[in-house]
This record gives sequence, C-alpha cells and structure tokens, in this order.
Amino acid sequence: MSPNDLSLPAPRRDLRLPFGAALAAAACLAPLFLGSYSLHAIIIALIFLLPAHGLNLLVGYTGLLSLAQAAFFGIGAYTSGLMAVHFGTPFYLNFLAAGLLAGAIALPLGIPALRLRATSFVMCTLGFVIIGQAIAKNWIGLTRGDMGLSGIPKPYFALGPASFTISGTTSFYYLVLVIAVIGTLAAYLIVRSAAGRNMVAIRENETLAESVGIPTWRYKLVVFMISAAFAGLGGSIYAHYLTVVSPLTFQMYYSTTMLIIVLGGGAGTISGVVFGSLLFVGLSEALRVAPEVRMIAYGLCLLALVFWFPKGFAPLIDRFWSFLRERK
Amino acid sequence: MTGLPILEISGLHKSYGAVQAVDDVSLHVNRGEICGLIGPNGSGKSTFFDCATGLSRPNAGTVKLDGQDITGWSLNRIAREGRMLRSFQKTVVFSALDVEENLVIAGQMFTFPGLWSTFGIGAMARARVEALRERAREFIKIAGLWDVRHQPAGKLSGGQQKLIQFASMLMPEPKLILLDEPMAGINPKLIERVVESIRFANEKFGVSFLVIEHNIDVVTDICERIVVLDQGRKLAEGTPDEIVRNQAVREAYLGG
Repeated sequence: MSPNDLSLPAPRRDLRLPFGAALAAAACLAPLFLGSYSLHAIIIALIFLLPAHGLNLLVGYTGLLSLAQAAFFGIGAYTSGLMAVHFGTPFYLNFLAAGLLAGAIALPLGIPALRLRATSFVMCTLGFVIIGQAIAKNWIGLTRGDMGLSGIPKPYFALGPASFTISGTTSFYYLVLVIAVIGTLAAYLIVRSAAGRNMVAIRENETLAESVGIPTWRYKLVVFMISAAFAGLGGSIYAHYLTVVSPLTFQMYYSTTMLIIVLGGGAGTISGVVFGSLLFVGLSEALRVAPEVRMIAYGLCLLALVFWFPKGFAPLIDRFWSFLRERK
Repeated sequence: MTGLPILEISGLHKSYGAVQAVDDVSLHVNRGEICGLIGPNGSGKSTFFDCATGLSRPNAGTVKLDGQDITGWSLNRIAREGRMLRSFQKTVVFSALDVEENLVIAGQMFTFPGLWSTFGIGAMARARVEALRERAREFIKIAGLWDVRHQPAGKLSGGQQKLIQFASMLMPEPKLILLDEPMAGINPKLIERVVESIRFANEKFGVSFLVIEHNIDVVTDICERIVVLDQGRKLAEGTPDEIVRNQAVREAYLGG
C-alpha cells in the first residue's frame, strides 16, 4: 500500500448552508450592483411572488385551477389606494386591510364557485376578474373609473411620533424583500402543517380524502380565501409602488402571469414559485428593451419551457439541492 | 358487550330514476361482530354501502350508528365523528405520497380538534403529527411494508396498496369498518393476509365489520352472520351454515 491509499476520502461537505448564506447576501447587496432598471424588475417579481404563492396553495397543493388571482390583486390594490388617498392611513394598515378584505370577499365568491366541477370552476373564476374590472370602470364615485386613482403615496410608516416614507427604489426594494421573505415563510409553514398535508390529500383524491374524515369542501374554501389574501397583499404593494391604480389592474394578464409563475416554476413547490417569479417577471421586464418582439420572444420562451421542462423548474431545483447535499 | 347494535339501518330505499337499487333493506351489525353482505352483481350491495356511509343520500330510511341517527351526514363527518370507516371496491391510495404519509393523513382529522387547528405550527401540532407517525410506523411494521415505507404508494403493487388502505382505516381507532370487496383481484396468498388483518383488528381493537365479498369461502370463514341481497331486497339472513343451506340463496346466488 502506498501512502496515498491511506489518505481519507475528502470530507463530505454540506453546501446547503453556505449556498443559502450566499443567496441571502446576494439579495441584501443586490442594490449595490444592479442598475435601477434591474432593481425595478426584481421589485415587480417580488411583488408578484405573493399572489403566486397564494395561487400555488390553490393549484399546486389543493389541485384547484383558478384564474381569479387578478381580481383579488385588484381588490387589494384599490383597497390600499383608496385608504391612502382618502384617509392618509399608514402603509402597514393599508397593506393588512388589503389582505383581509380580499380574503373576506373570497368567502361569498368561493361558496357558490367551489360547488362547481373543475372546468366550470375555472370559468367562474375568470368571471370574477371581468366583474372586478367592470366595477372598477363603472363605480366612478368610488374608483374614478377609467381615470384611475393617482397620487397614492409611497409607503409611509408612522409608529408613535416617528414617521418615515420609503421613496427611493433601493429602500422600496428592501421593503418588498422583507415582505417577500415573510410571505414565503408563511406559505412554507402552511404547506408543512397538518392542513398542508390535507390539502395534498384533496389534490390526490378527493373522495378518499373525504373517507378519512377530511372536510374537503371547507378546506377548499379556506385555501381559496388564503390564496385571495395573498393576492390582496401583493396588490397593495403594487399600488404603493406604482402610485396609481386603474381598472387595468383587473386584467387577465395578471392572472395568467401568476399562473405561468406557478406552473412554470413548479406547482406544488415553494422554491419553484420563488424561482418562477424571478425568472418570468424578470424575463418579461428584461424583454422590454425590444418592445417590438417582446411578446413573441416571451411566447417562444414559454413554448420552450413546456417542451423541455413540462413539470417546471422544480425538478431541476431539487436536483441542484441534492447535489449540494450529497457532494463527496 | 352491550346488546345495542353498533350499526342499525332500517327501511333503506335508494332509486336511480325508475330503478329501485335498494328497496326497503334493514340490516344491523352487532358490537364486535363481523357481518357479511353478499349477493349477485347488481343486487344493490354497493349502493347500500354508499347510502350507509354518506357517499350518496338514501331516498328513505334511517341509519343509526351507536344509537345516534346519522342519516344524511356527509362521508367525511361520518368518518370523523362516527368513526365508521369504509374502503372502496377499486383500491385507492394517495398515489404521489409515500406509505407513511398516507397513514398519517388517515389519522389527522381524528387527533386535531378541528379544521383551524390543523394550520397550527406550534409544538402541540408537531407533537400530534409525531404521535401519528409513531402509530403509522407500528402499523407499517405489522403490515410488512417497512422496507417500502418511503416509496410513493402509487408505485406499489395492488396487494400492497390494499394493505395500506386497510392500515389507513385502523389509524383513527374505528368503531366500525365497512369493506367493499376486500378480496377482489388479489392472489390467494394475500387473501390469507387480509383475512388475518380483519381478524387481528376485530380481536385486538374490537372493531366491528360489515364486509361485502364475492369469495364465499372467505365470507363463511370469517363472518358470524351473513345477509343476502338480491335485486335490491333482502333475501335471507343467518349464520354461514344456514345461508349455505338456504334454497332461495342457492338459486339466486350460488347457482343452485
């Protein structure tokens, strides 16, 4: 035996923690390296992450395809905008109210809609978006119709005597980053709970889930409301970021974008949705440099995705993650 | 053992259009008993099961579980509050989930006090799931599925899926289990195993059973009492010996 044979194999190092730390550092330091346009693209991606997490709970975990996300996104945006413009309430109040109201409105909408079978349910949720837009256009006394609400202040915090406003792109980035992290954590805790397991059971086989005592209808209703609340929270930040909302906030475009994030990123996974929102919203924003071919290029990217990654990017992320763990 | 039957169904009617699928059937299962339900195809056995377990609503009749009227309750409520579990003719499992998760899910609604508590993330919720996992592992060992416990249930053989289904029904400490053709489509070796499982649950946990089964040898072997359905009506009722000797039953079912 030569001395070389006695050498121990290189120690297995788990690279997940260093990788996570690097990711966190990159997220924190991004404003130092990125131009304001790239930063804007990331902000939009992180804003869309919340509705996407909500939709993922519904589509990916409970197995209910919904196009209603834009309706609740719009409700959140208008709630926030109206409160800020009319009452001058601080951001966190508008933000919470937007989530709560969107969730509450999902209750009366979900009760009839969830009685419907798969395809009819999808059509019904599509209807919610159209109704939402019609109300925003025509209830002029409240929403100012097509003129939209303008002059929504940038996020303004008031805690006791101290108050401050988040106005710059960089500070807005940090605000959205914190909210996105909390939102992701919330989604993670939901799917890891016993309720998350019941949701997956409903997705896998509803009758079997019923037979082991799971009240499937009530779960679907609750998840529909949670999903709407996530969308409302996203809409609220959107309104405060753009400082305008118009009936265009109730657009199928938003519902489909959120669906692309979830299905393309990886339905039924949290990391896939995070990746998906950065990729698809980032891609869409980045393609604005070539406005003539933007939607064509976007469409081609989606086609490529469907052909090469029918399950989204989640399996790739999984493989990368175990590569970090099992490295020898 | 008290004299009151665990399950008492009286005057059950169910029709689909002009077809009387179940026509005035009364049946009871005594506490701790294994009762058989036999009859030719289309005699209304499965419809009767579906009405008794809340999967479909009977047109008339009452279902009493442990003295409580549960007529019109939903499938999930009968399972959760009545602890009356059922299997399906076509074996079903949560295919994408592994064996252990299948069993944990089967027990969840019985350890958590309600829907909202299942969203809990605290130590109490985790302890509840951990206790379920322990119990699940015990059953997995008994069922001989230890080596495949982390495999997706859908990838396993039909027989193994049947054992998962059976173990799932034992998770919530049931009072009564209704089995819809547990021996259908499995090999003779596995039949013995399923029979053993039924006896095990009956003797060790005192679970009562109502079993739909076509394999007449198995039914006469494990059941203390047999009810025969024919064309939606009750044709006969008695001990296995009486049923095998009954002329009407032989003509309708056993082929003379």
